[in-house]
Amino acid sequence: MDSENILEVESIHTFIGQFHILEGVSLQVPRGSITVLLGRNGAGKTTTLKSILGLTPPREGVVRFDGVEIQGKPAYEIAAMGIGYVPEHRAIFRNLSVAENLKIAERKKGDLDRKADFIFNLFPDLKRLYRLPGNHLSGGQQQMLAVARALVADNKLLLIDEPSEGLAPILIEQMMEAIRSLSATTTVLLVEQNFIMASQLAENYYILDDGKTVHQGKMADLVQDKELIHRMLGTAVRSGGAG
Amino acid sequence: MIQRNFWRDNAALLGVVLILVVLGVVGYTSMGQTAFVRTTLSGLTLGALFFMVAAGLTLIFGLMDVLNFAHGAMFMLGAYLGWQFFTNPTFLFGLAPLILALLAGLLLAPLFVWLFGKVELPEAVQKSLPGLLGLAGILVVFFAARGLDILDLAKTAMVAAMTAADPLAEASPQEALSIFWLRTAGMFIAGALLAVATSRPGDKTRTVHPDQVRRALIGSAVMVVITILATLYREAAPRAVLMWDANLRFFAALLVGALLGAGIGGAIEITLIRPLYVRPIYQVIVTLGLAYVLREVIQLLWQPLAYQMSRPPLFSQPGKAENIFEWFRTSSVTVDVLGVTFPSYRLFIILLGVLMLVALALLMNYTRLGMVIRAGVQDRQVVEALGINVQRVFTLVFMLGAGLAALGGIGAAPFIPVQPNMGDAFQLQAFIVVVIGGMGSYGGAAIGALLLGLARAFGDYLALKYSLSPAIAEASTVIIMAIVLLVRPAGLFGRKE
Repeated sequence: MDSENILEVESIHTFIGQFHILEGVSLQVPRGSITVLLGRNGAGKTTTLKSILGLTPPREGVVRFDGVEIQGKPAYEIAAMGIGYVPEHRAIFRNLSVAENLKIAERKKGDLDRKADFIFNLFPDLKRLYRLPGNHLSGGQQQMLAVARALVADNKLLLIDEPSEGLAPILIEQMMEAIRSLSATTTVLLVEQNFIMASQLAENYYILDDGKTVHQGKMADLVQDKELIHRMLGTAVRSGGAG
Repeated sequence: MIQRNFWRDNAALLGVVLILVVLGVVGYTSMGQTAFVRTTLSGLTLGALFFMVAAGLTLIFGLMDVLNFAHGAMFMLGAYLGWQFFTNPTFLFGLAPLILALLAGLLLAPLFVWLFGKVELPEAVQKSLPGLLGLAGILVVFFAARGLDILDLAKTAMVAAMTAADPLAEASPQEALSIFWLRTAGMFIAGALLAVATSRPGDKTRTVHPDQVRRALIGSAVMVVITILATLYREAAPRAVLMWDANLRFFAALLVGALLGAGIGGAIEITLIRPLYVRPIYQVIVTLGLAYVLREVIQLLWQPLAYQMSRPPLFSQPGKAENIFEWFRTSSVTVDVLGVTFPSYRLFIILLGVLMLVALALLMNYTRLGMVIRAGVQDRQVVEALGINVQRVFTLVFMLGAGLAALGGIGAAPFIPVQPNMGDAFQLQAFIVVVIGGMGSYGGAAIGALLLGLARAFGDYLALKYSLSPAIAEASTVIIMAIVLLVRPAGLFGRKE
């Protein structure tokens, strides 16, 4: 039960409509680490996260969370097992207040009271904005709220989709700091286009291409391999990927 | 710095209020006080009914993307159920044991998942078994209900309503209890068979928590006890209800009708709507078809006739109260409001509409369910990803909407004829209300209902005064919709996407 990996995905195939989006994605996420999914747009990174969570259930393959097979279960059951999800595009509830956005993520009564200090410590802005409706927040504040929302319940694994998307550099720094400090208590599976951010945060990486996992390894090795980075990600990497 | 801009945020509301105030002043000065007040009150009555139909419609569409064309049928069903309960509940109590028994059987579903989930079955058997069991269940229902004179049962209230003198005198004697027990048992077995069918024996992907099995057993046991009581008292209960004070019976009818409407709504969502979330077009066709089926069933039971439900004594004592406070003492049929003689029952409908709006606002803003509904209207997937069973919320919202529409139907029954197609006009108006208010916004539905109600009333007044066709009142609602859509394509309070 207490295996080394909190999440194991074995060659899952996912269809959206008639489109075969994932054609065999496999990955393992070790406990207490940050693992990043890299790949071009349309490679299937977001769909992989959604398939793990059951939002787009895989048609074939196995997803094991904490030693239990979860593929085919409804998404709410999977999430309730202890997976937090930060969707792309800062999908907070804009018509709910900041407080409600956090409150709705409670799975047990009092979750928010217990976690409030931790969350406000991580994102001090949210305390000031607590009573405002979500649509009055700036893009960066919305992204922080989206991450904070995933921290309210006791989650063993966080799936975070593009946290740096559209953020100002100073906010990216703050977001990185927050995610890094999260990995002390939980495990993170990250999708990130910003290679500089990904390379500084993650220990392990997987590269997706055309719905398949094509490369994997330690981030420390990847940053040395500029040719692979360029070929797979098309990123012009400045100064060895650590900027 | 983040600042809430009051004027910009409430532009739609302020605009509507401004237009209403201007029109009000113009109307007041040109029509004179009496005509103006009377027309306004009529408009508010109509608006309250529109709101009760439209509130459910807008929530169901906003959250679930289901265009529920059976919503008007729920209004109509509510009117019939309330009317039956109020005039002679023999039919309701006569049928209740059978339905409760079926439910008791159906509630056992998790038990069967647990029992048969691990059974090894050949694939062919596993594939065909649910269908065969379902067919067997339906056959058992057929045999259990065979020979039961439902039509005669239904007629009791109809005749009672017509003779009015002694409803009990006309109640036809019901069949012996010994035979009825067989029917109840049959319905329970049928429910259990259907439950086995839905549990898909041999399907190992179905999992069930022991807690769920325990809850199912307790629920089913409770339901069996209720069924037994309902069977024993199926003749005595309606007599007892008819002995109640008529006012109490009326308010009980409101409650019973709303709850039954919610229950029927829940059954519709689970059996017909839920399997079709992946095929939205089919949902439209299913609800449209369902509306026809419900209407035909009602016609079968009570003939295609129009009935008038009598007003409870609280609103029907002869005479006129000089003001609301006097009405509390006299329960007069009319009340003087600002110099206008207006039926007290219609004032009650306005109050009912306002109460429902307040209740809905409290539910939406101060409960967890309301929070989840508001979040779900915006993004279902993310709500689901937070570990919330959105499917269950869908069912609750469908029940809430159906219950509200049914409540509107009973409320309307004492002053519009109870007939099989009484819901159609309300459904059409409610769709326009939803479009005007913005899909998914109950506040928008309230404003839209208010606008349409007033437009209908003032349109009727103008048509009468200038001998125009009364169609002008009906056209006015569509014209309002067109204007609103030109200014705000998402409706007054719709999301700008």
